[in-house]
Order: sequence, then C-alpha cells, then structure tokens
Amino acid sequence: MAAVDSLPRPAERAPTYRKVAPYLVDCDCHHLWHKIDEIFPYLPRQYVQEIKDFGSMFPNGGWTNMPNSHGYRTDHDVDEDTDFAEFTVKEHLDPYGFDVAILTGQMVYPTVGMTNLDYAAAICRAHNDWTMDHWVAKDSRFRATLAVGPNDPVLAVEEIERLGDHPAVVGVMLPAGGRHPYGNRIYHPIYEAAERYGLTIVTHFGGEGRGQTNPPTAAGFPTYYLEMRMARPQIAQAHTASLICEGVFEKFPTLTWVFVEVDTWWIPGLLNHFDADWKAVRDYTPWVKRLPSEYFRDHIRVGTQPMEQPGSREDLHWFLEQARADETLVYASDFPHWDWDSPTSVAPDFPAEMRANIFGETARAAFRL
Amino acid sequence: MTAAASDEVVVCPMAELPPGERCEVRGALTYGVTVFNLDGELYALLNHCPHRGGPLCRGRIRPHPVSDRVGYWEFEREGEILRCPFHNWEFDIRTGEALYDEKVRARTFPVEVRDGQVVVRVRGRRQVTR
Repeated sequence: MAAVDSLPRPAERAPTYRKVAPYLVDCDCHHLWHKIDEIFPYLPRQYVQEIKDFGSMFPNGGWTNMPNSHGYRTDHDVDEDTDFAEFTVKEHLDPYGFDVAILTGQMVYPTVGMTNLDYAAAICRAHNDWTMDHWVAKDSRFRATLAVGPNDPVLAVEEIERLGDHPAVVGVMLPAGGRHPYGNRIYHPIYEAAERYGLTIVTHFGGEGRGQTNPPTAAGFPTYYLEMRMARPQIAQAHTASLICEGVFEKFPTLTWVFVEVDTWWIPGLLNHFDADWKAVRDYTPWVKRLPSEYFRDHIRVGTQPMEQPGSREDLHWFLEQARADETLVYASDFPHWDWDSPTSVAPDFPAEMRANIFGETARAAFRL
Repeated sequence: MTAAASDEVVVCPMAELPPGERCEVRGALTYGVTVFNLDGELYALLNHCPHRGGPLCRGRIRPHPVSDRVGYWEFEREGEILRCPFHNWEFDIRTGEALYDEKVRARTFPVEVRDGQVVVRVRGRRQVTR
C-alpha cells in the first residue's frame, strides 16, 4: 500500500530516546475516547437517542483493570480536556521516534458480545469515522485497523468495502472474544474482503465472556483479574489451531494475521505439538497441506507485549530462538496502558541481530507499510 | 541559600513537604530524585523503576493488602507502599525494595533537613545512562 503522502506530516523532531531500530513500528497503539458522545456525529439518530436514554449497553465482563481513564497509566496527566491523539503523539510517537503506530482501538471490543448486530455494526462504523477524523487526520504516522462486527459478516464486508481503500487503513480488528474460533467458515467473507483490499487481520485480547461471546476459558469463567489475564494465550492458541485446521491460509494465501496482547510463550509449545500431531492425523484434514508451523511462520505474527520475563537472559534467548522471534514477533507497546512495554525497556531483551525485524521490518511486511 | 556540596541536591523547603506528601527534583541523576515524607521521616528514591524503567516515584502510594482467607482483605502499612505507574509493582518507600521480587531494588539516597531545606546526598552524582 502506498505511503500516506496526502496526510499532514508533523515537523521532524529528534526523538528523546535513541531509536531502537531504523524503522520503528508499534503494532498495538490504543486509541480511545473520553465519552461515547464523541461518536454521536457519526451515529444514526435512533442509536444516539437510545444511548442518551439507556446508556451504551456495551456488555461488561466484570473484571478490574486500572483506575485511570480507560486503563491510562497512573502517571499520565490526563483529564477530560486532554486531546488523546495529541497526547499520544507528544508522549509516545515523538519521544521514541516511531515511524508508524497501528491504532488498535479498545472502546468497541465489547460490541462482539452484543445481541443487536445492527447496533454493533453502527457503533463500529461510527468508531471508524471518528478514528479517521480525530486520529488519522492528525498525524501521518497513525494507521487504522477497521472495527467490524464479525458476527454479521455481510455488514463487516460492507464496512471493509466502505473504507478499505483509504491509504491509512492497514487492517481489520477482530477482538479475540467471539462466538466461534476464527477459522470457522462463517467468517471467511471477511477474510476474502480483507485479502482483496490488502488488509491484515488484527486480533487483540478483548470481548471474551461479554454478552453473547464464549467464556474466556473452556473451563468456564475466571473469577479474578489475574486469572483472567492468564486466559489470553489459550484463546490465541485456539484461534491459531482453528485458522490452520480450517484451511484459512490455503484459501487466502496472502492473508496475514497479527495477534496482540496474548503473550508469546505458547508459540514453541503449540507448534511442536501441532507439527507432531499433523504427521499422525493429518489425513482427517488433508487440506492442511504443510506443517502447521510453516503456516504459522508464513501467515501469523504475535505482538511482543507483555514481554516474557523468564529468570535469566539465557532462558529468554533460548525462548526467542524456539519461537523464531526474528520471523514471528512484532513489537507492540500497548500504549497508554499501565502494563505497557516501551521500546527502550524491552530492546535489551532481544539479541541485537533480531531487533531490526522485531521492531519494524516484520511489521512493515505484515501490514504492507 | 543552603550551602550544598557537589554531591548534594536541594529538593525543597521542609515546609513544602508535609507528612504524606512527596517532592521531586526533575532531571537529578537523569531520571529525577523524589523525597517522600512518611509521618515525619524522609526517604529519597531515584525516579527510575529497576524492573522496566518506569517513573517509579510518580506512582500511587497505597497500603499493603494482605489476606489469610479467600475474599477477605487486611490493609497494612498505610501510605508506605509505592506502586510503579508501569506494571504496578509494589515497592517499600523506606528501603526501595520490591515487595515481591527480592532481586529488584530501587536506588535510595540519604536525606536530611539543613537550614529548613530538604537535602539529598546523591553520592558523587554518578550519571545513570541507558
């Protein structure tokens, strides 16, 4: 996809920190509103009135997070007058010298659990228009992922067709919570449209156990926030196994899938087992023509945050080798959340020869930047 | 004007640092140094988290929640625990120690009150660089 030359370009500023890689991409830069009123100009009149009368009716999960606005770090000096986009440029893009930040939203993940799919789609549409006007238009380094409602693939495809040609749109966001594992054929029209527009699918932890989505674990609902955080990798593993076994990457050979905020430690274990079992029982799914790990390496990328913290640097490097991190991992900050990883804080964790790929080149290829 | 040695930083007048408050000297030792007043006792910490480099001293001050049975909390050491804004680890303001990782400890400095001014001795102004 072409560079976004038509968008306003900020004055070149020297970063406060030494850039950790020549081309620096953040694959998980959250963007958010203060209040849902901000998308009213983009929302049908009936839904505006319903929100005024009843609230947004976003299904909730019931787990805690952090006390600041929407999980903003507690040291961030934000209030109701803060322009979050300008704040993100000033506190994040400029100081670290980012070349691109992929906007991953967060406010509308719960729409995956809504019963009313027209309402869910309308919220996603309004969110996308607001993203273009209030974020993408403000800095040429921002790239958008389109919020869509996966439970109505027809409406999801309409939204991709409405905005998929915009040069700043690089992906489609499918939150990890859903009604089916994402290899399921009901979703394939979304992947066909994404592939047609050269867009990457991004799956961020979110929406699990809310409203009509499945429980966050197959064992049932976690009770506590710490317990809930431990559910993330098994959800990603289930989606990964589904995508490969349902033949998604045979059917859509140029599709790339990026998981963010789902941990990374599971990659080697899953792929070792997956490859071994494929050799034994692949005859039940012969459309899976290659080793599962090959599909993974060709089509799936995983965000680094939260960065693994094993006991020693040696253990960490062993893991990175096992995960083929130089091919599969993409740097993700999770800015502005309290549990984020800054580029400078995690760069020393990676062997020097891996950094150019992890911090930029792998994402550049995955998102066609 | 308080006379300060080359390895000292004058933080603020003691009158501006009542119990429960903190005062930061931005840029001291690169990251900033913050003095906390805990019930009249002063403690100085480097504003740099030894875990992941966050601005530790701008975190929330909290008690230490403990429990001896599920669904029940007790709160100890009210006002003595600093939670880093990055990743929320708990630190003992008095010692700089991370409560739940014995290998991690924030840098601390001697602090005194001289001529009504809070003065931190930073041991030769060693620059911490990344």
